[in-house]
Amino acid sequence: MQLTPPRRGRIAQALGLLTANLLAATCAQAQALSPAADAPPDAAAPRVGVNDDTQSDVGLTRLNAAVLFYSESGGRVKATEPVVSVTVNGSSGAVLTGRFTVDTLTGATPNGAAPWTGPQTFTTPAHAPGTTATVTGSSGGSTLVTIPGTGTVARQYVTPANTLPVDAGFRDLRTAVDLGYATPVWDGGRLSFGGSASTERDYRSYSGNAGLSQDFNQHNTTASISAEFEYDRSNPFFGTPTPFTVMSADAKGPARTKTVTSAVLGVTQVVNRYWLAQLNYTVGESNGYQTDPYRVLSVVDSVTGAPSQYLYENRPGSRLRQSVYFGNKVAWGPTVTDASVRFYHDSWGVNSVTAELSERVPVVSWLYVEPLARYYSQTAANFFRDYLIAGQPLPAFASSDSRLGKFQAQTYGLKVGIPITGHSEFDIPSSEVYFQVQDYKQTGSAQPGGVVPGLAHENFFSGVQAVSVFAGWTMAFY
Amino acid sequence: MDGGFVLAFRAMGSPCEVRIDTTDRALAARLGGMAQAEALRIEYKYSRYRADSLLSRINASNGQPVTVDSETAELLDCAAQFHALSEGRFDITSGVLRRVWRFDQSDHVPAETEVAAVLPFVGWDRVTWHRPEITLPSGMEIDFGGLGKEYAVDTTVLKLQAASPAPFLVNFGGDLRVSGPRANGARWRVAIESVETANTAEAMLDLASGALTTSGDARRYLLRDGVRFGHILDPRTGWPVRDPPRSVTVAAPTCMEAGLISTLAMLHGADAEAFLEAEGVVAWWQR
Repeated sequence: MQLTPPRRGRIAQALGLLTANLLAATCAQAQALSPAADAPPDAAAPRVGVNDDTQSDVGLTRLNAAVLFYSESGGRVKATEPVVSVTVNGSSGAVLTGRFTVDTLTGATPNGAAPWTGPQTFTTPAHAPGTTATVTGSSGGSTLVTIPGTGTVARQYVTPANTLPVDAGFRDLRTAVDLGYATPVWDGGRLSFGGSASTERDYRSYSGNAGLSQDFNQHNTTASISAEFEYDRSNPFFGTPTPFTVMSADAKGPARTKTVTSAVLGVTQVVNRYWLAQLNYTVGESNGYQTDPYRVLSVVDSVTGAPSQYLYENRPGSRLRQSVYFGNKVAWGPTVTDASVRFYHDSWGVNSVTAELSERVPVVSWLYVEPLARYYSQTAANFFRDYLIAGQPLPAFASSDSRLGKFQAQTYGLKVGIPITGHSEFDIPSSEVYFQVQDYKQTGSAQPGGVVPGLAHENFFSGVQAVSVFAGWTMAFY
Repeated sequence: MDGGFVLAFRAMGSPCEVRIDTTDRALAARLGGMAQAEALRIEYKYSRYRADSLLSRINASNGQPVTVDSETAELLDCAAQFHALSEGRFDITSGVLRRVWRFDQSDHVPAETEVAAVLPFVGWDRVTWHRPEITLPSGMEIDFGGLGKEYAVDTTVLKLQAASPAPFLVNFGGDLRVSGPRANGARWRVAIESVETANTAEAMLDLASGALTTSGDARRYLLRDGVRFGHILDPRTGWPVRDPPRSVTVAAPTCMEAGLISTLAMLHGADAEAFLEAEGVVAWWQR
């Protein structure tokens, strides 16, 4: 133990000035950021992410507003979807999220019938008197007719020869609200609850979910489990048709419902500073009405292919879905790669695989680009039929919905992001404008194997080709 | 402690306490809460052990410029100036050396090639710092290990002083500062821990104002072939400084000054005492 006399040297003197300046400058700042009355922040589980856009911050609020334009080629579905979402991070580590979406859909969808060498006429119920008519006269070419001798008002439309029949009388508005709340419950543990409701004129859906996640291994590993229950009510414009009955203008049955129960088990692992991996297993069972009430199947002659009837389709009342998802975020120097693969299987016989790769490349500090490629391939449901053959016994179930058929799809996209204030997410408040363009194309075979001779030159594949444009703005502030 | 309250909590990986010389229990609780909030605020922002801290995100920036807030900018300015003042001995990029040096009281001294391999990632000169934008070359890291806790003590003292005239002592993991004399005019009594035996006092000090910090290698060292490798690494060589004191305690008006001087004294190794005498600071050391 020794004591030196108090006589200040060069460094000690410089330091005195340095620290005085530092404390004077930063204390005002620190007090502004964290008022004296603030409760101490809870030891909340930090979220780990490599350049993760959704990373949460204590006290931070994020606002996101975006609009999606989606357009299928050939005058099919067009959608405009504005989305507003907000994430509020409480000082205790709790996170509240809300999202509001409005979808407007217009256009034509295949009605399920097979193409034929001549024009085809379809007759469906018109909307009940007093309801808002949604028939489009111009592009759809639908007409309202009164069935002679009955007084029943029907809607009729004619589709041209040698084309896959589509119903143009399709227009809908969907409104959806999602709310979520997550809160730390103990060290490294988080409990979450959520709910959503969406409504269309002919469909309503409500769901609720609860989940628990736990961090281990110094927050490098997160295991999570969650469960969701969904209740859907389908109330078609003209009632619910009885499956495998003939398409007609007659009034149909009452609304039908469906429930979906699902669970997700997940593990997220920080492999190292540059690599974040995630593995999820999802299982879900849906029970109830899962048939498309607007969709029919042609019953055709076994040789000529001439349609004799259009029957409403029929799908099984239960469906068990399972999927495994493996995703990775890897930072290579300044760029971030997102690579994921998903395998899916369901009890209807649909198996699919999705592989996706995107790369986020900062060009300059105020601009990044993110090219994306996605490949998708699925097998057909075991009750998928392009048509039924007259005179043969009806199968238990049948649908010609191309989403249940065999196809592949490729998506190519490019996202461009422009941070506006500040050049990093640490500069709060910061905002960013981003644009994304995606080109989606389905491919598949034009004809089923063993097609009836009269339809050998028709194209059954209703493959979707679509372009979507996404423009959004996001802002974060304390 | 007579006639006061002690509020203890853990923050920044250390036991922390605030002693408040008052009979008002509610006031003591409020000041204690403020101190804890401030300690945790700085921990959340600057801990390298928290993947979501600002510091961790700077370290994960992979060569990309990161724009920092003004508080961080002040700290970086301070670190930059002290790097220059200390002729490179104090360097907030030196934490990378921990990849090869683990001071676990074993004999695992790294090979010279291992140390040489990480040296290219050490050096404040390699960092581009144009306020408010910092660019760390890929593979480099910064941490405020040498000044974060001291800074937290100082900001806490300023906040508590603004909130109440009650005398207090803030002690975050051994870095401490008092607001002034105690209520009865007496000095605060502070023990300097012995380097030989934990929880025994080497000396008692009486403190009326200012701060005290201690740097040392009491329990963090490697021992090989009878040579003791202390945990004070010289960022210029990548090797422990030779023959530093076992501990250096420095008194200064603020905790940051005291902490920087005591750290720098250790970095002077065998010349620590000469350095302290030249600087004319109030200091105690143990060999």
